[in-house]
Amino acid sequence: MLRKTGKGLFALLLIVLEWTCPGLLSPVRPICDPRVLKHFIQEAQDAEVAMRSCREGCGLSQTVSVPQTTVNYDDWEKKDGLEKAQEVQTGLWLLQQALDLLGPSVTNTALNNHIDNTVRNLVSINAVLHSLNFQEYTPPTNVTSLDGTWRVSSATELLQVHVNFLRGKVGLLLSGAPACQHNVS
Amino acid sequence: MTCDHLRRLFALFLMFCGAGTAFLVQGSRDFEKKAMMLLKEKPQNLKCFTGGMNEFTCFWEEDEERAGSLDQYTFTYVYRNGNNQTCPLTTMPVEGAKLLFICHLNRPQMFVEMDIKVHREGRLIHNRSLFIELVFLLDPPTNVTVSHTGQQGQLNVTWVPPPLKYRDDSMMFEVIYAPADSHLGQVEVARASSLMILRDLQYSTKYKVQVRVKLDGIVFNGYWSAWSEPVFIETLPAEIDPLIVSLTVIISFILLVLVLVSLLSHYRFLLKKVWPIIPTPDGKFKGLFTVYGGDFQEWLGNTSGGLWLTPAFIYSEECPSPLEVLSELSICPSLPPKASEVSTTTTNKDKDTKTGLGESETTSQEHWLLDRLRAFQQDPQPCSQSSMLESQDTYVTLSGKRQSEDDHVEDTLEETLPLEVLFASRKTAMCESHSDLGSVQQSSGSGQLSSQSSFEYTNNVWTPSAPGYTYMAVADSGVSMDYSPMSRVDDIPKGVIYANDYKNEIPAHRRPLLLRQYRIHDDR
Repeated sequence: MLRKTGKGLFALLLIVLEWTCPGLLSPVRPICDPRVLKHFIQEAQDAEVAMRSCREGCGLSQTVSVPQTTVNYDDWEKKDGLEKAQEVQTGLWLLQQALDLLGPSVTNTALNNHIDNTVRNLVSINAVLHSLNFQEYTPPTNVTSLDGTWRVSSATELLQVHVNFLRGKVGLLLSGAPACQHNVS
Repeated sequence: MTCDHLRRLFALFLMFCGAGTAFLVQGSRDFEKKAMMLLKEKPQNLKCFTGGMNEFTCFWEEDEERAGSLDQYTFTYVYRNGNNQTCPLTTMPVEGAKLLFICHLNRPQMFVEMDIKVHREGRLIHNRSLFIELVFLLDPPTNVTVSHTGQQGQLNVTWVPPPLKYRDDSMMFEVIYAPADSHLGQVEVARASSLMILRDLQYSTKYKVQVRVKLDGIVFNGYWSAWSEPVFIETLPAEIDPLIVSLTVIISFILLVLVLVSLLSHYRFLLKKVWPIIPTPDGKFKGLFTVYGGDFQEWLGNTSGGLWLTPAFIYSEECPSPLEVLSELSICPSLPPKASEVSTTTTNKDKDTKTGLGESETTSQEHWLLDRLRAFQQDPQPCSQSSMLESQDTYVTLSGKRQSEDDHVEDTLEETLPLEVLFASRKTAMCESHSDLGSVQQSSGSGQLSSQSSFEYTNNVWTPSAPGYTYMAVADSGVSMDYSPMSRVDDIPKGVIYANDYKNEIPAHRRPLLLRQYRIHDDR
């Protein structure tokens, strides 16, 4: 009788622990499939094309800071992994802040859907970076005034920067991630 | 010592110069190839491309006659949120009296928009905005290798992609293959792979295979590279599948056995059809060949009874004569019309059959004969010649072969002779009146006549209606006559008369009373 009661309590305890702490027991699998990023890039390009055709009710209410998308390949190769990851995570944070300001300014329902989708994709990209064992980085509050940022005043420019940033620095970081190199070898 | 060092240094310098020159020449040739490709494709005058991550080239083409010096041109570019920069220009002569103006950058900025402007003596001649990562023009794949896969109609193609770090998954390849003597080829696309298997190829055919590369357009984009150097290979010859061969042999064997079994089961039938037995008369003439050695006359003489009655034409030495039935002629005035009797009989009996009709004819005919006999006995006066033509009896003509005209005349004459002349030698013995019954068998000169019926004829003569035929008036009186060839040779000019036994088939109760029977003998 006591044994049966003990076994039941033990099973209940395991269930509760599994439910409350899901991340502790199972490691995250690295996401190395290049098609994932390609999917995000394509949706970003669709949003940019949709924004170009907008004439009214699709402008930024203020200028916003966006990450620089320029990549010199030799200079990029010289940077270490941590610097690359911080640069990419900083850029993703800046883009997310800018899109949060753009959302209320857009009255077009279709464009609003694109913007919401873009914001969700930025969160997903952060999750992909986390799966590749890149250390999570939160940029400082004064990042907007630091080098490595641009100022844009239109929604079209903002989404164009978004596309170029994903194709450039984010793509280079993911394709060169050590976790994916180990999987290939 | 110093001289040696100097010599060695000079030699090394020359080597490096040579290598550098070769590299430059090769690079120049590669650039010229790419430039020619772009000049065909891009409509814009300002052509730009990048071959890798660390180089970027723009150029345009002008006629040598119209082109100015280099210092007249200015190539400036600016990146987004960047500063204006200038690119130094070079020139290269090409075929067709053309001159290329070239701008080459070693450290291009990617993923940022680039604005380019070209001025000639302060005048804007070219203006273009582009992203450098979207104008890739790679070198063609190298080390293209084609080999057999071991299966029929297949080839394995492998290649080495151009070096582009971390961008192997962004490349797409086109493989073109065609028979060496054909201008039409098939194209297959491979993405992020350096291997392709070509299928459904012709056997024992020499194929030409080439490969080219391009970025997929998601992160990087650009133009198709030039085709790699062609590789030739001959496919394997067709092999006969042993399973198919064995199945074919087994099925053929089974079919052969079935055919043989069917042939053997119908052996006799097929033998009759292919090799029919020649009929022999052995079965019909018992002992003719086995006992009498084929001597038919001897066999005839020695066989008795049991023989089946042969038809008359077997014993007859003459061919059967066609029998032509003439139409009925009207009878003598004293005679009742036969037709009226027949019609009366017909009207009285609506459903008379032919047999009944015939019987009525036979009965009336017999009565008529009896009347005639009585009439002749009472008053034996010959009927007029014209009445001879009017006889109700059916006249039967016995036609032998058509004789020659000479014979025809004689036959005609013979026919016209009174019967007293014909039967002169037997006048007394034969008959008391010319109307006596008798049977005469006449033969034509050719001996082809045979008559087996008794007939009645009068002493009157009638003119034959058609020449060349032997005519004989015949009326079946139901009399059985035994007659033989009738007269001497000199009485009958020609012909052979044969003796035949004739027996009338008319039933006995129908036969009229016979007054006399006469025998006609052949005194030959």
